[in-house]
Amino acid sequence: MPRKRPSAAPPPVPPLFTTEETHPQIASMQAVAATEDWAAVAALLEELSPVDRDFALRYLSDVEGVEGLLERALEDDPRDPLLRTLLAERYVHIGWGIRSRYRAEHVSREQFAQFHDWLRRAEQILLEVCAEHPTFVLAWDVRLTTARGLELGHSEARRRYGRLASLDPHSYVAQKALLQQLCPKWSGSWEDAHGFATGCAESAPAGAPNGAVVALAHIEHWLELDPPEKERYMASAAVRDDLRRAAARSVRHPEHREDFHSVGAHNAFALAFLLGDHEEDAAVHLRVIGNRASGAPWDYVDDPVTYFSYFRDAVLAAG
Amino acid sequence: MSAQIDIAAQDTQEEVVAGGLAALASVDHIVSSSTVDGIPVLFAARASEQDGQRTAGLFFRVGSADETLATAGITHLVEHLALHGRQLAEGHHNGVTAEGYTLFHVHGTDEEVVAYLNGVCAALTDLPTSRMDVEKQILRTEAQRRAGGPFRPMRQWRYGAQTYGLAGYDELGIRRLSAEDVRAWAGERFTRDNAVLFVTGDALPAGLDLSLPSGARIPAPTASSALPQTPAFFQGEDGHVVLDAVVERSAGAIVLAQVAARALFRDLREVGGYSYTADGDYSRRDATHATFTLYADALPQQQGAVVGGMIDTLARLRLGVIEQAELDAVRAPLLTWLDSPDLAADLLPTYALDVLLGHPVKTPETSRAELEAVTVEDLRQVAEDVWAGALLQVPGRAGAEWAGMAVAPQRSAAAVEGIRYPRVDNPDVALVIGLAGVSLTTPEGAATVLFEDCQLLSARPDGARHLIGADGFSVAIEPTLHVGLNGPSIEQGVDARVPEHLVARLPARDPQEIPQPRPPTQDVGARAGIGGWIDRHLDLSVNLLRQVFLVVLALGVVVTLQTEFVGSALVVLLLVWGIVQGSVGIAWWLAARRRREVGAARR
Repeated sequence: MPRKRPSAAPPPVPPLFTTEETHPQIASMQAVAATEDWAAVAALLEELSPVDRDFALRYLSDVEGVEGLLERALEDDPRDPLLRTLLAERYVHIGWGIRSRYRAEHVSREQFAQFHDWLRRAEQILLEVCAEHPTFVLAWDVRLTTARGLELGHSEARRRYGRLASLDPHSYVAQKALLQQLCPKWSGSWEDAHGFATGCAESAPAGAPNGAVVALAHIEHWLELDPPEKERYMASAAVRDDLRRAAARSVRHPEHREDFHSVGAHNAFALAFLLGDHEEDAAVHLRVIGNRASGAPWDYVDDPVTYFSYFRDAVLAAG
Repeated sequence: MSAQIDIAAQDTQEEVVAGGLAALASVDHIVSSSTVDGIPVLFAARASEQDGQRTAGLFFRVGSADETLATAGITHLVEHLALHGRQLAEGHHNGVTAEGYTLFHVHGTDEEVVAYLNGVCAALTDLPTSRMDVEKQILRTEAQRRAGGPFRPMRQWRYGAQTYGLAGYDELGIRRLSAEDVRAWAGERFTRDNAVLFVTGDALPAGLDLSLPSGARIPAPTASSALPQTPAFFQGEDGHVVLDAVVERSAGAIVLAQVAARALFRDLREVGGYSYTADGDYSRRDATHATFTLYADALPQQQGAVVGGMIDTLARLRLGVIEQAELDAVRAPLLTWLDSPDLAADLLPTYALDVLLGHPVKTPETSRAELEAVTVEDLRQVAEDVWAGALLQVPGRAGAEWAGMAVAPQRSAAAVEGIRYPRVDNPDVALVIGLAGVSLTTPEGAATVLFEDCQLLSARPDGARHLIGADGFSVAIEPTLHVGLNGPSIEQGVDARVPEHLVARLPARDPQEIPQPRPPTQDVGARAGIGGWIDRHLDLSVNLLRQVFLVVLALGVVVTLQTEFVGSALVVLLLVWGIVQGSVGIAWWLAARRRREVGAARR
């Protein structure tokens, strides 16, 4: 934990915490999705690079009522895999909203029943999309989330990830999803979680964002510990060196080219370093981030806005 | 005791036999037919058979599916009794009691084959029932040596405790069968009118004397059903995943079984490493339908992946994502088989069964044409039918609702009304004995056997009873476990309501096998009342205590101010303690709220 507690004074320049704010094109796409039709959304997506398009698609499920847009588009083309997958992802989003972010023991039976209902509707769409279009990566990716929510177990989650990885071995989004499954909170283990994260970082091409999975794994681990173990863990040389290795290979690598994933990856490293008081390491990432924070993983700390602002200002002022 | 035979719908036996043989007219260029002692005979030469050797098979249209639970094993017992004493110096013989037929099979010289067949028929006409006890014991021993396997539960769950479901149960009727029962069964089912013989060779061997009683051709039983909705799944033992469905017999289904077998092997074993064995099977069930099965074992820790993988593989097949090459790779060896020089001899058993079941006989040319005509679309259609009628067995606590499958019925629709006997160690569970039947009730539902549906009542001398209903649900009655349950209540409430022919009397149990109620536990958490409530809600309790202190403190302050009560020092003490407790309580509450969050982040 930081040596000094941040004050409660409002920060001078409010940081941006949502993807819509940090990635204006996402906000535009969501606005179009809320008011226009699929053709308009598709036109916007066409302007993005394939990597950015894949990133952007996932934010359609946040749009209130987007299921209507998708269902109308499906009337013209009922077998389209992308539309069906996006509709499934919207159902997953609705279901997860009902379940809420609380731990299982604080979720009611009724909430769980509705949650599972929505996820099953999604899963049955995705099952057929994956059968008809076995190389359609996005559908396999959303199935990682349904597998987790429906508690299909580790071997089934890994099987789906295996199918996905055979098509796209370095899908940062899919790796983040599987990492969740491998954590103890979803019946996994730290050995599995860290082992997977290390594998992601080491096998990814130089400059790819995947190294940030290592940072996320450490943050997940930090979250589960109690003080003083919590602070000791993140401050340890072993974790620090792990983070440095992963960062050097990914977003700090000379071959890294900024894309939609970069902000999230830098934020993961920044938070991980800060939690261990490695302020100089954090500074490198904070300089790149500037004002662009991210909801996850900063929402793992109390008062992320103040936390982020204080450290961004303090650390960057220090040099 | 036997299944209903719809005599009115039968042609005369001569017409039936003639009709059956007439069906062979289409294959008379490869298979010859005749009758021996009123039994239709098919024969065709096998070029590869050594001089003087031939193969023969005598089929009867009777099997386990024709039995009831109370007579389960009677066909097998007849088969054993008929084969008693059959010793061939050389040559090989065996008897097979299947679900829809019984087969007496032999390979040897003309003398050996004739002696065997003559002997079997003579024995069937006058069964050596003095051997009953010995053969019953042999059957019990054979049953114990047979591994249970994952396919038995599939039968029970699909068909219940009737017809094709009986293959999922032990031969529970054996014990109660008498010599009269067995002779009556043989006299009704092992008749010349309910038989077909095949023999390899250019002509029939001399000396056949197959006198059997006359009777009737008995059609295959109509399948029962214990599955109100499909696709459905149930939980079975760990280690394997099985899916089956009943489909119309077709070349497409035969091909699909092998296409699916190869696909499963590739997906589950070669690519994934989740299974060691992965296979598909097509087995004819009766004249018109076959059972289509997919099977995979699951290596430890891989059970979820095997379930998911099997469902995904079937999904791509039923959605038509099938390479032409997959079809061609399976079709080629099947076509090659149709070219073999001994095809006619190889087809004799199939044709014999077709005649026995009253099913049209297919020429090899027709089979070949049908096989060549199979398309990817045909395979997709069969796979779609498989999914529509599928029953899936998943290991352990896995489920398959996520794939759109219904839960196969785990509880009866309702419990009977009657006298209630709660369990000694758990008042939430009770046995109910009523006029209509018996139920075992729990908070989650009940298992019920209505007396009119009871297939078998097993009785132990210690008073225990076990009833099995037609739908496969069963109720165990253990007098030691229920309050107020005694001999007279069982005799009057249960025994008196089940006819004797459905009762199997089992021997006395080892006293250690008699279940005893569980002793009450010392579980603190199960404490009733305020004490237990506090244990379960420690957090809340402590916080409440803190609130109480604050209130007392406030009252104390008010009282002091109002009355200047002596002990203001005490009040100050209370004030300080109150503030400390209050702030600790608030901090604890905040931390608990914090702990509740997170853990469910998606991105």
